[in-house]
This record gives sequence, C-alpha cells and structure tokens, in this order.
Amino acid sequence: MKRLRMRAFHRSVVLLLGLTLVVSSALADNKGKKGGGGGGAGSGSAGGGAEPEIEIDPADGAGSGSAGGEIDMGQEPGPGDLNADMAKADANAAAVKAGEVKKTPLSWKDILVVVRKPFLKSRRTELYPMVGTTMNDNMIRHYTVGGELNYYLTDVLAIGVEGHYYTESFTEPFDLVARQARRLPTVNKYNWSAALDFHYVPVYGKFAVLDRKLITWEVFFTAGIGAGQSEVVPRDTKFPGFTNLLIMPNIGASMRFFLAKWLTVNLGIRDYVFYDKFEPTDRSPTMNATADQAKSNADGSLINNVMFQVGLSFWLPTSFEYTTFR
Amino acid sequence: MMKKQHLLLATVGVLALGSSAYAERRHNGLADDVAVRHRRLLVKGRFELAPLFESTINADFRHIVGGGAKLEYHLGDMLSIGVIGVGSTAIDTGLVKKIKPTLETATDNKTREPSLTEFESHLNAMPFHGAAYVSLTPWYGKLAAFSQAYVAFDFYFQAGVAFAQLTSSCDKSVCSDPTPGKSTMGAMGDTIPPDNNPNNDAPLNDGSRLGLYIGGGIHVFLSDFIALDLTVRDYAFSDNPSGADFNANLAVTSDDSRFLNHIFFGAGISIMFPTTVKRTN
Repeated sequence: MKRLRMRAFHRSVVLLLGLTLVVSSALADNKGKKGGGGGGAGSGSAGGGAEPEIEIDPADGAGSGSAGGEIDMGQEPGPGDLNADMAKADANAAAVKAGEVKKTPLSWKDILVVVRKPFLKSRRTELYPMVGTTMNDNMIRHYTVGGELNYYLTDVLAIGVEGHYYTESFTEPFDLVARQARRLPTVNKYNWSAALDFHYVPVYGKFAVLDRKLITWEVFFTAGIGAGQSEVVPRDTKFPGFTNLLIMPNIGASMRFFLAKWLTVNLGIRDYVFYDKFEPTDRSPTMNATADQAKSNADGSLINNVMFQVGLSFWLPTSFEYTTFR
Repeated sequence: MMKKQHLLLATVGVLALGSSAYAERRHNGLADDVAVRHRRLLVKGRFELAPLFESTINADFRHIVGGGAKLEYHLGDMLSIGVIGVGSTAIDTGLVKKIKPTLETATDNKTREPSLTEFESHLNAMPFHGAAYVSLTPWYGKLAAFSQAYVAFDFYFQAGVAFAQLTSSCDKSVCSDPTPGKSTMGAMGDTIPPDNNPNNDAPLNDGSRLGLYIGGGIHVFLSDFIALDLTVRDYAFSDNPSGADFNANLAVTSDDSRFLNHIFFGAGISIMFPTTVKRTN
C-alpha cells in the first residue's frame, strides 16, 4: 500500500514537472515571437520605412497572443480592466496592420488608427455627482453641489437630468465698490436649479502621460432646458428680499477621462442663461418697501452664469460587451 | 528514497518559481518602453512662433484685450523655454459701466464719493505685458473629431517671470493732494491734518511690475508645422486696479497695492520651424 502510494507520488511529480516545463517553454516561445516580429504589440510596425504610430501600454499582457497577423477573438478582459482591454485592442490593431502592410505598401499617412473603442456607453446609465463654481461674476461667487443622471441612447448621444444646490460668497469687488465708489451693488444669489439635458460626444482621443501611460478621453457638448430659483440680496436688510423662478436653458462643453469601465472623471464648463429680476434701485419705507412691491418694479437683465464643474461618473452596468469584431 | 523525493520536490519548486518569475517578467516586458513608437516629434528641437490674441477673464474694472506673439524653443519633447509679449488696450467692464452713470460730475469732498472724473482717472490700464517662462509638455495624444478629423494635440504647463507696464493718468487738478494721509505744516506754522479724502490722491498704480507667471494650454496640430494654440495665463504681480483706497485708511498709498492674479485667455496660431518633423524609433 505504501509502495503504491509512492509510485503514485512519483507519477504525479513527473507529471507536474512535465507540465511546468511545457508552461515554461510556452512562455519562452511567446516571448520569442513577441520580440522577433511575429506580431505582438511591439512588432506590428513591420512594414518598411513608412510606418504608423504604434501605441504600447505597459500593462500589456495580451499582446503576444495574436501572432501571425490574425484577428484575436480571444477571451475578454475582466470587468473594469480598461487598461488590459486597451492593450489588447492595440496589440490586435498592430497585428492587423502588419498583415496589410505586407500586401500593400501604404504610407503611414494613409493608415488611420481606428481601433476598437476602449469604453462603450451605449445603453448605459451615468451617475455623475459634481461640484462647481462661478467663473464670470466678479461680485458674488456661487458654489454648487449637484449631479446628473444620464442615459446613453447610443455611444455618442445621451439624455439626462441634472440638479444643483447653490451656496455663495461675496468677492473683493463687492466690498470695494461700496467703500471706494460709495455704491451698494445689487446682486442676486441662486438657490437651486434643475434641467433636462441632451449630450453629444463628437470628439474622442487618447494621450500619453510622460510618454508612459495612455489615457483615453472624449469631449461632449451639452444643451438643456430647465428651471431655477434666484433670490435678491437686499442692499438694506431692513427691506425683505424676494425670489424669482427662472427659466434656464444651458449649453456647455466638457471632457471625460476614462479610468475604468465603470468610472470616469469629468470636467467642463456650462453656461446657464436666464432672465433674472433684481432689486429696484429706489427702495424706501414709502416706495417698494414690501417684497411684492419690489418684485413688481424689479429691474430685469439677461444673465449668463458660467460654471466650471468637475466630478466623478459612475457607470451602470459596471461593464459592457462588444457586439462587433475588433 | 526520501532524498530523491526531496530532490524532485526542490526541482519542481525551483522550476515553478522560475516559471512564475519569468511570467512576471514577461507580463511587465513593456513596462520600460515608451507609450508610442514611430511618433512624429512635433515639437522637439523646433522653434515655435505664435501670433496670438489675448483677453482678461473676469477682470474687475477693465478688460485688457490685445495682440502679441510668443517665441518658444523646444529643447526636447517635453521641455521648452520661451517668451511672450502682448500689447493691449483697456475696455471698461460691465461693473464700471454700471457705476459711471450713477456718479456725480461735480466733486463733493464731504461725501467721500468720487466724481466721475476722479473714478475714471484712478483706473489703470496695461498697455504691455508678457513673460519669460519654462514650459513642460507632459501629455500628448491624438483625437478624432466627428469620426472624421484625426489630429494630434498636446497639453502643456508653463511657469516663469511676468512683467507688465501699467499706466494711469490722473491730472494734477484731480489728484491734487500732495501728501495723502499725512499732516502738513501750514503757512502760519500750524499743523494741517490729512484731508481724509482718497479721491484726490494720486492712484499710484502705474509703472513697471515684475511678478510670477503660470499658464496651461493645448496645441492642436492642424498640420506638421501649424497648430492652434489655446492657453490660460496668469500674470500675478502687485497692483491696485481701481487706484482707490483699499485698506480703508482714507488715503491712497503704496500699501493699497496687493499681489493680484491677472488671468488671461489666449488664442494663437503656432508655426513650427523647421517645418518638417522627425520620428521616434
């Protein structure tokens, strides 16, 4: 019994040894192909002097599987592994290009890098909590806490809603005008806003950071219609302020940087345009003393409230599947 | 027998370790490689000359709007040195346009309210400004617009020394106080106290200024040697744009100047020399 067990042990050891050697030689073989021009990410440019730019991600772990210029239909990277997926896409693109270049000597100018998009948004929901601040008001600066909920109908078109809560602080000129020019500024603060938005993504690209790390990004434009509330800040606190309900269309442009399949960083500028009503300049105990009187005699003006916004986007579902070939 | 077992186990262990270590090395095989091979060196070793337009963002009293040029030499792919100079004119902001119609034309020293002339003549302008800087370009890439136009771009950040020439013109008849905030001796030997009226003090907001410069921008390459150049620049130096009493001591003195940021948006067309590009390996 003991002897038999020993033989079984020997057999399993030999089997394990054999497997280890096979794995080692397979790895060595792969490395050899990669370095030797068989088709990995580093060798996809074999095509003479006219070569396209070839991008390499240090996290490349899949590039060697596509030797021979064939399209890799292999296993997808795990959920959230954006870098691995990008590396795999780049490696395959390089392999495909290597095959084409051998047949037709194209100039690098003729070859557009149209690899598979590393991040798909179609039929996904974006939850985008954000903060923002005023860019174009030198009297009062607003800060916002808010968010967007967007649904991408296609990869470039989305519909969504947004909402913001505002706080404010007065800037240096607000005080200076009172002290230096002896004039009390008339300002309104904003309380909240909400809108229905449409987003369009016309630009996407990628860039290398310090010639090492590749990051993909895109630019999207937004247009929407919504409502908000402003509140008069009384020049004299003896008199009450009043609030205004505002119709607030908005337009904007933003950038999105892809960190994972479920996470992006967004930053952008949005212009909220509205017609606001301000406290009348002639206010006294006998004139425009009440909020209703002041509101009925308020001075109106078209306002562009330009906000800088930044936040993180969380994407649901947290992963996606490609439905087309690479 | 036991010795053989141990030998076999040791061999397997070493091989397994070797395999995993090898796999680790293979996984990181490109870790030290560059991100992009055969890349066009769009800036390295090239001069960049960019005629440009520049305007302040969110100025308090006067917008500074003008044109100029920047000249930059790219020492490497990421590092460059350059200078920028801009000649400008000053345009009243919306705030000034709202204040001016409410001011009296006649001076009334009792109210401490400036007259229209006093208010206007204290504001300063910036006919010339510029900077010498070092620029770092850590990000470069390419983008597709509307899935049609594929262009290269880079982001850069700059820091250096800012300089500015400031002007203000307050006539002696308006800025008539020779000793702002100070008592003087009268003709009879008596002490005349300060008039506590900053509106007739000289604004003290002209002359040359040196300060700090920081900026950040993007090149969008329209061809191998022409790029759209968009930049946000901050020229920070000591200034008192209103030329009025800032620290509420009822006199305009040099203490009213403070270190202020002057933020500009600039747009230009960069032309690279030589016009041909090299490529990386």
